[in-house]
Amino acid sequence: MHNFCSVGKRVPKIDAVEKATGRAQYIQDLKLPGMLYGKILYSKFPHARIVSIDTSKAKQLPGVRCVLTAEDIPDIKMGVYKDNRPLKKGKVCSYRDEVAAVAAVDPETADEALNGVEVIYEPLPAIFDPEQAMKEGATLIHEEHKTNVLRMPWKLHYGDVDAAKKEAAHIVEDRFTTTWVTHCCMGASGSIAEFDPANNLKIYSNTQIPSLAQKDFLDALTAMGLKGNRVRVIKPVIGGGFGSKLDTYAYEYIAILLAYHTRRPVKVEFDRTEEFIATSTRQPTITYISQGCDQNGKLLFRDINMILDNGAYTSWGATTPSVMMMPITSLYRVPNVRYEAKCVYTNNTYAQAMRGYGNPQATFAIESTMDMLAEKAGIDPIEFRRINANKPGDVSTQGLRITTCGLEECMDAVKEKLEWEKPKGESEGVGLASLIHVGGGARVYKSDGCGTIIKMNDFGKIDLFTGATDMGQGSDTVIAQIVAEELGLQIEDIHVIHTDTDICPWDVGSHASRTTFVAGNAALGAAKKIKARLLELGAKQLEAPLEKIALRDRHIQHQDDSEKRIEIGKLLRKAHFSHGGQMLMAEYFYDPANENMGKDFRGNMSMTYTFGTHGVKVKVDEETGKVKILNYVAAHDVGKAINPMLLEGQVYGGVMMGLGYALTEQVILEKGENMNPNFRDYKILTAKDVVPIEAPVLETYDKDGPFGAKGIGEPGCVPTAPAIANAIYDAVGVRIKDLPITPERVLAAIREKKGLDLCGQELGRDDVDECIIEE
Amino acid sequence: MRKFTYLVPKTLDEAISLYQSYGERAKYIAGGTDVLVKIKEGKLAPDYLISLKHIISQDRPFLNHETGELYVGAFVTHRMIETSPLVQAHYPILYDAVKNIGSVQIRNVATIGGNLVNAVPSADGAIPLITLDGKANIYGAKGQRSVDLLRFFLGPGQCDLERGEILTEVVVPRLLPRTGSAYIKHGRREAMELPMLGVGVLLSLEADMETCAKAGISLGVAAPTPIRALQAEKHLVGKTINEETLAEAGKIAGEESKVRDSIRGVAWYRREMVAVLVTRMGMKALERASRNAEVGMGNK
Ligand SMILES: Cc1cc2nc3c(=O)[nH]c(=O)nc-3n(C[C@H](O)[C@H](O)[C@H](O)COP(=O)(O)OP(=O)(O)OC[C@H]3O[C@@H](n4cnc5c(N)ncnc54)[C@H](O)[C@@H]3O)c2cc1C
Repeated sequence: MHNFCSVGKRVPKIDAVEKATGRAQYIQDLKLPGMLYGKILYSKFPHARIVSIDTSKAKQLPGVRCVLTAEDIPDIKMGVYKDNRPLKKGKVCSYRDEVAAVAAVDPETADEALNGVEVIYEPLPAIFDPEQAMKEGATLIHEEHKTNVLRMPWKLHYGDVDAAKKEAAHIVEDRFTTTWVTHCCMGASGSIAEFDPANNLKIYSNTQIPSLAQKDFLDALTAMGLKGNRVRVIKPVIGGGFGSKLDTYAYEYIAILLAYHTRRPVKVEFDRTEEFIATSTRQPTITYISQGCDQNGKLLFRDINMILDNGAYTSWGATTPSVMMMPITSLYRVPNVRYEAKCVYTNNTYAQAMRGYGNPQATFAIESTMDMLAEKAGIDPIEFRRINANKPGDVSTQGLRITTCGLEECMDAVKEKLEWEKPKGESEGVGLASLIHVGGGARVYKSDGCGTIIKMNDFGKIDLFTGATDMGQGSDTVIAQIVAEELGLQIEDIHVIHTDTDICPWDVGSHASRTTFVAGNAALGAAKKIKARLLELGAKQLEAPLEKIALRDRHIQHQDDSEKRIEIGKLLRKAHFSHGGQMLMAEYFYDPANENMGKDFRGNMSMTYTFGTHGVKVKVDEETGKVKILNYVAAHDVGKAINPMLLEGQVYGGVMMGLGYALTEQVILEKGENMNPNFRDYKILTAKDVVPIEAPVLETYDKDGPFGAKGIGEPGCVPTAPAIANAIYDAVGVRIKDLPITPERVLAAIREKKGLDLCGQELGRDDVDECIIEE
Repeated sequence: MRKFTYLVPKTLDEAISLYQSYGERAKYIAGGTDVLVKIKEGKLAPDYLISLKHIISQDRPFLNHETGELYVGAFVTHRMIETSPLVQAHYPILYDAVKNIGSVQIRNVATIGGNLVNAVPSADGAIPLITLDGKANIYGAKGQRSVDLLRFFLGPGQCDLERGEILTEVVVPRLLPRTGSAYIKHGRREAMELPMLGVGVLLSLEADMETCAKAGISLGVAAPTPIRALQAEKHLVGKTINEETLAEAGKIAGEESKVRDSIRGVAWYRREMVAVLVTRMGMKALERASRNAEVGMGNK
């Protein structure tokens, strides 16, 4: 392989010191002159008519500059489905519904003003169970929509599932559920909006979609009668995204509206409680699945029916079934596939994109039933998966074109590192699950592109303007490595700027594990243009043929004669400070050759796919139901690791997020109300809970990726839950089908298996004390 | 967050007189890890916070060699208790409990007194100290008094302190010879975790090293206050301690508990865990008692 200087190196994140020493400026650190503080009043009911809102008391409070309700603002429609408004009019549909907003000179006054807003509600019957909400005659969340089922017909059928069912030698069928979990970004949400005297908007906001956010805010300005005015989105340092910043939110529009009304910059900043209550969760799902195989273990069909709890409004998250289609149709070779998903309105909090974008929910059902089917067919789980493994060159029923594919190698790595065949101790077990995910962008929007502009100064240093968003994952560092590699520069020579839509090119967003692949290719494209110019200048200067010179160590040099070389900076100065002077600048827009889904949802949504297998060894405490992770192996085919250290960070972080999803995390909603809006009761795992994780990296050098790389942002949390569920089954013979896999659920299942009731008594015996289950 | 004035008295009397001047508008603060959370959540809104952290007092647990009593000052931090060789060697039940409170950062500031006065059923510090038959020393305008720590807890968030009174220390009587003890916090994660259930067991053995001379079994989050499972204790006294007898005691303790369903755990599971964990902590206490006897440590 190529001998790289920057690519493939364990380079610390370029902003690591700044962050570790507290100098990075998050939204919480920003303060503009004259800035006011905005606060939001939320609903007191999950579903209610707003009879009246009296803001007079709040308005009279000294220090209050503005109080807004829906009556005071134009009709700004938010979200992909345009069913949400910054402030709710007429009725509220969930506890997090925004009812009023205030701006005041300090946060305390703003809080006090909220207490002075008097809202009279008339409670309405509410509905929290999507299966109930789908029923004929159910209370409607949005009356004008006529039904609680979203008009997004996620439905495909390739081959003939019914015929395949008749042929199958073994079939499994079951129901799996997943619940609400939330991103828990360390940097809570916030934005500052400011209008200039000509009513152009500048908004500082935590977003992972600067260009689409800009468009949303332009639409808002249009609704406000400011059509044609400019919007500039500036990103502060962002403390985590994980999909949470994939939409624009009410609080951002509220900051805009308050700023517009007060003619002052207005900051809306969430505290942790608000972050839990008023940001969105992963979609809870109910999945009915069946899979079948023939006598030899070859998969014949997969049939899935899924219900997603959309909550009261619709975000991009409602399109997660489009991504779920990928594992459903294409994780392993499946000739016949049927899938239908319904997103259903309820009076719960509305769900959103979250790392994996539906893939973890789908993979939980698929990979759990893969093990069940393997057992029925009497085949070892790894062998069973090997029989059905995807291979390079495959085209799946959905039309996904598998180029590089290291799935079997990932399974081999897990098998070896986990010592799969070694005898296990008592109550110990091993389990594994695999994943497929988009690794070469994902065309979920009209464009999947990203632009890059490079300008070089007189000293051989680069300012690089990218559309990408670094929200902590380290894309700035990876982009710098790619460009440094291509131009023979050092990483510190590359200054990556991604923070400002006034100067950065367009990008669809940091999602779909696409940034290294797409923004990396965009940066590489621009660097190649610069390189061509540099070589041209260098060839002239060194009086050598073009094909004989190369860029290395900040120099241009003759390949056969190391004496013949010139420093790049010097060469640039010569070019700049001579007659007809020139400076080097280049732009490149990279839009991968992937495809939008067609009518029947066929289409190669990504240029390439990332594969992986997670294996886990657990020990189950059969008396308490606690699951202890003894060892965890997460093997991924990443194409090429541009930065192995950051890559491992993505995998470790993903696995820990996946473990939380599998075992402990849950937003507890009781009749729509968040019962645990804090880190005390929301059980995200802590540093002390980190388990031993090995992350073998397989490099398959994808021809389309920058230096062969594929995306790896999301995969780390995709197959964790089913791997653990499978290991628990191996250990103690119980199959948990609902997340999170709490000790209570495990213990209840163990007791059920032994024919005991919850309290350990034999079922059906009435001479023993009654098992008291208190309310 | 609401603004308040922070007062720093240097003596108990000064603190009490400050409290008397401000009355309901004042609140004592030690480490602040409960008080400040409540202020932030809007559950408390004092105008004055009277700090107890600058009152000159013992900053670590110590043994009165004459009486064999352990003194734990109320303003001692969990970290001080955790790192005390005395506690580690002779009061492992207390060590087990404090070493898993919150995180190191929390333990560095949070005090045992604050933990007790906060009086939640989940207080990790309370369970070992009631198992050890601790007494609470209290000082106030009317002078000094002492109550059994077990009686100190009146209800969730309520303890036996008159207005302005300060808990000054907990005194643990001399341990019987051949004693072992252990505590476990049953939760979902390894740090920053309030117990779903807390179980402490103390066993003192006869010279035969298997007959129970004295038993202490305490439960957290099993009732509105930290409790002792007295019937279960009674069941053990005079019996040979082994897995069987402990399991019986555990079952009785489960029946004595008044566990409830909450977002932190369901009642049936909590009750079942009482039985399981009393047995486990009992076995651990037994092992520790034997080990102590072997190396001749025990307590004089
Ligand atoms: C992140 C986090 C994690 C936590 N984890 C745990 C845990 O694992 N287990 C656990 O049990 N607790 C836990 N807690 C709760 C808390 O830390 C403990 O209860 C702690 O011991 C309280 O002590 P403090 O000194 O901070 O009390 P403070 O907050 O200062 O005071 C608590 C109460 O006691 C009163 N007070 C304090 N000292 C005295 C005194 N000597 N006399 C009279 N009144 C007094 C105060 O007025 C107040 O009402 C946690 C808290 C946080 C924030």
